[in-house]
Amino acid sequence: MSEAQTLEVEVAAIEQVTPLIKHFRLAPVGTEGLPAFSGGSHIVVVMRTATRVYRNPYSLLSPPHRLDCYEIGVRRMEESRGGSHFMHDRVAVGTRLEIAHPVNLFALDKIARKHVLIAGGIGITPFMAHLEDLYLGRVPYELHYSVRGPDHAAFLARIMERTGGRAHLYYDSERQSIDFDRLLSSQALGTHVYVCGPKGMIDRVAAAARDWGWPDSHIHWEQFSAPPVGDAFEVFLARSKMTVHVPPDQSLLESIEAQGVEVPYLCRGGVCGFCQTRVLEVDGELLHNDHFLSDADKAKRNTIMPCVSRARCKSLVLDL
Amino acid sequence: MLVTGIKSKPVYAPLRADTGGRYHLMLAKGVGNVALMRVLDELRSAAPQALGRTRVLLIPGENSGETAARPEDFAALGLEEVRTFADVPGLLRDFRSILEGALMGTRLYVAGPESFIGLAMKIALEFDLNKDEVRAEELGTLARRVYCIHCRATTEEVRTNIVRCVDCGSWLLVRDHYSRRLAAYMGVMVDAEAPGELPEIKEIFI
Repeated sequence: MSEAQTLEVEVAAIEQVTPLIKHFRLAPVGTEGLPAFSGGSHIVVVMRTATRVYRNPYSLLSPPHRLDCYEIGVRRMEESRGGSHFMHDRVAVGTRLEIAHPVNLFALDKIARKHVLIAGGIGITPFMAHLEDLYLGRVPYELHYSVRGPDHAAFLARIMERTGGRAHLYYDSERQSIDFDRLLSSQALGTHVYVCGPKGMIDRVAAAARDWGWPDSHIHWEQFSAPPVGDAFEVFLARSKMTVHVPPDQSLLESIEAQGVEVPYLCRGGVCGFCQTRVLEVDGELLHNDHFLSDADKAKRNTIMPCVSRARCKSLVLDL
Repeated sequence: MLVTGIKSKPVYAPLRADTGGRYHLMLAKGVGNVALMRVLDELRSAAPQALGRTRVLLIPGENSGETAARPEDFAALGLEEVRTFADVPGLLRDFRSILEGALMGTRLYVAGPESFIGLAMKIALEFDLNKDEVRAEELGTLARRVYCIHCRATTEEVRTNIVRCVDCGSWLLVRDHYSRRLAAYMGVMVDAEAPGELPEIKEIFI
């Protein structure tokens, strides 16, 4: 993905749907509609401030058959590096934003006999688009949606309208929680489970599924990691022959892009593997924060995902 | 003339126990029983509690004395269930009804002739069983099920490179092109351009 492939959209409506989540409607600029997408897709929103550029991935929650606008939900992160605060504080109706084309890394399995969807908080967003497809189809499913409390249950009216009795709601404030063992020990053969939410929830769902003998091909999850902050370090780009400084609150990928070097990317959250870059030399430690590389790959110390990973090192040379 | 190197031709490997599974369902025909006995031995040492969640469906071998394990040998292992069948359709009927009630966490093991494996896999596919849930070991005859691409009939127990379609009578070249959905190899008319001119017919699927 490069800047040349971004689209311009205009914010058509903003609604504060929970104390932490804002719901944005993005309309195309010009007469053409927006590109088609499938349920589970995300876009990357490019946010330009005076001092830096943020590119954050957000799941599309609008019905996949509607191309007159895209809808996204943005949760205000307490420890934001700036992206979610920009969306919450600096974007108004009429603001124009650049977005990258939709990419799907969280599609439903096409031949599944049943789907079990598990959402935690803002993790409901990719499922909103899935619910539209499921509403039109015949494959049985159930949705388990866990939130802090009634005030935090975003998009509830739309969920209820689409799901009938298939949605189950859990409030932390009422000490309700999803019993993953009970849920995953009694599903018919051919069921797929999908989870989107905090890392702890994803880990518990995957662990419970494996305990009950689910094979990896039936377990799906999506979590876009925000690039973690860390110590500043320097990186040398061998092909571009330049040294780039990576400050604590900027990702390796963002720092490289700020110097005008393009790196192919799709998710910017450590999931897709698209920005994988060869490490030519490292004197120190690579801090892998992605969900893509296997432990064995990480141990080889010859590749890195610059979207979320960093280094603590005296020197680092990348093949860029 | 037989086109080789076709990716759809199934590849098999010796059966190994998958201790990641919670329930185990095993099917075997004839000499395939020996492979199941080997997997059960492995399961008994790696995860003995899994034997009580293991079901075996068997078609005993013709000369059960020497080569094939006997139903009594399976019964002695303390499995959840052992059922024996006289023929493939009977076994597949029960297999389907077991899958209808089966839970996620089930692993399928199939051992026997390729045509038997193919028919079991065809049903497994309908239940969305993926590669990481199914294992198969080929033992016994290589005789093929051949699907006539002209009249859509399937000819069973084909041992020769060229065969006459049971239904339309066309002379078919048996290809390596395999359909998982049909559980059969594709048969294509071999003398369409010069009727009656046939290459040498050889027995190659023994």
